[in-house]
Amino acid sequence: MFFKTPLYEEHLKLKAHMDNFAGWIMPINYIGALREARNVRENCGVFDISHMSRIVVEGKDAIKFLNKLVAKDVIHAVENRMFGPTALLNYNGGFIDDIMLYKFSEERYMIVGNAINRFKDIDWLKNHIDEEVVNIYDYTEKLGMLAIQGPRTFELIGKHCGIDLDSLKILEYRRNVEIFGINVFLVSRSGWTGEKGVEIICNNDKIIDLWRKIIALGIKPAGLACRDVLRIEMGFCLYGNDIDEKTTPLEARYWVFDLYKEEYIGREKIWSQYINGIDRIRIGVRMKKKTPIPRHGSKIMVDGKIVGEITSGTHSPTLNRNIGIGYIDTRHAINGLPIQVDIRGRKFDGKIVEPLFITPRW
Amino acid sequence: MEIYDAGDYMNNVINVNDYTVLKDLLYTKQHEWVRVEDDTVTIGISDFAQKKLKEVVYVELPEVGREVGKDESIASVESVKSVEDIYAPVSGKIVEVNETLIDAPEKVNEDPYGEGWMFKIKLSDRNELNDLLKPEEYAEFIKKEG
Repeated sequence: MFFKTPLYEEHLKLKAHMDNFAGWIMPINYIGALREARNVRENCGVFDISHMSRIVVEGKDAIKFLNKLVAKDVIHAVENRMFGPTALLNYNGGFIDDIMLYKFSEERYMIVGNAINRFKDIDWLKNHIDEEVVNIYDYTEKLGMLAIQGPRTFELIGKHCGIDLDSLKILEYRRNVEIFGINVFLVSRSGWTGEKGVEIICNNDKIIDLWRKIIALGIKPAGLACRDVLRIEMGFCLYGNDIDEKTTPLEARYWVFDLYKEEYIGREKIWSQYINGIDRIRIGVRMKKKTPIPRHGSKIMVDGKIVGEITSGTHSPTLNRNIGIGYIDTRHAINGLPIQVDIRGRKFDGKIVEPLFITPRW
Repeated sequence: MEIYDAGDYMNNVINVNDYTVLKDLLYTKQHEWVRVEDDTVTIGISDFAQKKLKEVVYVELPEVGREVGKDESIASVESVKSVEDIYAPVSGKIVEVNETLIDAPEKVNEDPYGEGWMFKIKLSDRNELNDLLKPEEYAEFIKKEG
């Protein structure tokens, strides 16, 4: 059984190529991932991200409860500013999910997580309620979510917003905002593309109207394939590709934790890796021009010996070459090191680089 | 390569929804087209195929001189989302490949029946041409697939 977002029919109308992603039928592309990506980087595009999980944690022990499970200290979360990225870790310090946290009050928080982990996260949360007075609510299917991203975002939608978007610093949000005369639950200055933009959370019964008004302005729709291209250019980890239950935040170089926070699930491993070091580490790979795309699972080799593996790869329209994210044994984690990637049985040249390929402009 | 003027072009084209099928080519169910010139055939992928793939970023071509068998996977076309294998529609020997696709893989999208051609095979068995789809048959085929 697959889930559909409230905008499913709108995507069909726009002739999106639809496919299953994490159990949801999503628009993978409309006119092509690369064309959509160029449009986001140069102009403005809109993504349906309603598949992401929206889980509310509510009760008088919300902070105490969350602090058992979240790798950052939730006491530092404030209202009107997204907290994170942080994570739920397992007992081995591996990622259960990487999440953003929204504080609505001392007793009410919302977790936005990856679609693929929605039920796992809810079970993890519920199974770890001991004596805390707290309840877990799944709002995923009640609220939709959009991202409008690109340098022209504020110019295009600013005048249709009831708040001054320029007054928001990165990650700040406001609730109950009018956009195109529609009252939306939340607007944040945030996103996953590296471009200036907003994310909007809106009730299902209003989101179709909101989407249509955004499209009517001339903002082009962008699909999940485009989203993947842009986040790889930014070096962001995708759960399931670049991070999973067997990968720790230190290995992923993903600062989702507070090093000196003393008690939370996964802490032991984080501290142990901090003291003892790690054996594998996340890196970026920049392929020579005129080579194929390095794909998840492609081995990274030095002098014929396997030293690592690609976990995500794409064609970067900004760099006009193929790039990847992967892991390598720490002894070979040297920026500039020439390596080869085995792609479908043939070896192609590339080099190790920082896993951040462009300058963010958010 | 022959250049058609507008009139000739229109007479040469079958339109199936958004896709064009040229009448002077033969086709396969794997969406390759075949242009026959004496005992050599030129092969590429159809408009339907390039539209499904979207932007091609890499083309892997066979080596000139290689002997290939009918239906053997001998090349590939890569877009951001997938890699599609290209199969030899006939047996024979690769006599030429379109090296311009190394620098400009997007030609497969821009001109799938012209500058996007991929490789040429010298036929070893002319009879194999009879197994290929005629343009009308291919048009029917993509009408159902599309």
